[in-house]
Amino acid sequence: MELTSTLLTGTGSWNPLAWILGLVVAAVIAWLIYSLGEKGYKAGTAQAEPFISGNPEPEKGLVHVRAGNLYWGYLEALKGYYNRLVPLHTGDLHDYILWYLGVTALFLVLVVISA
Amino acid sequence: MTLLGIATMGMWCILLSLFALAGGLFLLGVDRKLAAHMQARIGPPIRQPFIDVAKLLQKENIVPANAIPCLFHLAPVIALVSSIVVLFYLPVGSILPVLGVYGDLVLVMYLLAVPALAMVAGGFASGSPYATVGAQREMVTMIAYEFPLAIVVIGVAWRLGAAGLPLPFTLGTIAANPIWTLVGPVGFIGALLLLLVLAVVTPAELSRIPFDTQEAETELAGGLLVEYSGRNLAMFYLAQGVKTLVFAAVIIAIFFPWNLSGLLAMPPWLAWPADLLFFLVKSILVLFFAVTLVRVGMARFRINQVVSLYWVYLSVIGFLGLILLMADASLVTLGVVGA
Repeated sequence: MELTSTLLTGTGSWNPLAWILGLVVAAVIAWLIYSLGEKGYKAGTAQAEPFISGNPEPEKGLVHVRAGNLYWGYLEALKGYYNRLVPLHTGDLHDYILWYLGVTALFLVLVVISA
Repeated sequence: MTLLGIATMGMWCILLSLFALAGGLFLLGVDRKLAAHMQARIGPPIRQPFIDVAKLLQKENIVPANAIPCLFHLAPVIALVSSIVVLFYLPVGSILPVLGVYGDLVLVMYLLAVPALAMVAGGFASGSPYATVGAQREMVTMIAYEFPLAIVVIGVAWRLGAAGLPLPFTLGTIAANPIWTLVGPVGFIGALLLLLVLAVVTPAELSRIPFDTQEAETELAGGLLVEYSGRNLAMFYLAQGVKTLVFAAVIIAIFFPWNLSGLLAMPPWLAWPADLLFFLVKSILVLFFAVTLVRVGMARFRINQVVSLYWVYLSVIGFLGLILLMADASLVTLGVVGA
């Protein structure tokens, strides 16, 4: 196996083949431990029902956590930022072009000042 | 690289894997013992995590009716395997990183995310509302702490690069050139701030209180692990131990890379075990201050508080540390202060 095909970033490096070698070794050890464990369980009995603190399982649609909630904590924490940012997304192309021109002009001014 | 070189590398990987498993469980045992003593309890013996794993391997491996079985079984194994692999890129005592020349700190940062992603996959595959909410929280927590973690990594590597060292992101370079020896007083404060940021990232990376919102026993009944049992749970438990050792190794490599053999004169045959023991002592100290002390003294944050803490407060502290390091490099270059 040739391990010289290292990706050089200029400041560091990464060799995927070496990573795979390490991965295989770790996987074999993990699999050996895993295979020592008990495989079976009583399928179709109460033990295979989802744990909902002892309550009967409601209809799937009622307990399904929707993808829209995925980043709830993130959006809640940064709502001060999103409350200002979301209204700016009007859907009107003229607004977006104005923003684009405004930000470009600002950067031009900054570049001129720094030069 | 020759076939013999690959075989030697493979042998070191096996030895390090075994060390990671045993060392990780040992650290979990020490953490539990220390936490117990701080709460005026005797606590379990330090070998308790080993007993727990042995017991879990004897238990039934239940697959919930709503689960996606292949992903449900695969996630714990991936979590363990990916945790072990990270250690191959890190120095352990005076053992240089086995794959050190084949990867850098940026790679380590990415690889640290894989066990958490495996847990997320396992949570979503469980088919349980508790596990799904837990998996969502794990994703949000990851997004929160990756940014300050990146600031630390870039800050330290940038300062090493500014000191004229080649390949500053390489773990060998970072471990051989402790940041404290390269900076002046301003940079010292900057490095302290970055150390603080990394210490606060640690409990989140390890899903420990106050950043264990994804498991939250009192609220989510275990969250993304709620449906796991038997050998699958044992794999996650082992991964938790290995991650603990790995993250301690990351902090040690970046901020405390000194070895006992470099500080005291000793024969070569003694240096290797002495340095390994010293590494474990440093790991326990890191674990104590970054995890045990914090989890005993604090309550759990809400998930939105976690995001605010990392994205606002910790990021600002991290940037301040980075700016101080940059100012320090400028002062050293101008000859105002000596490094």
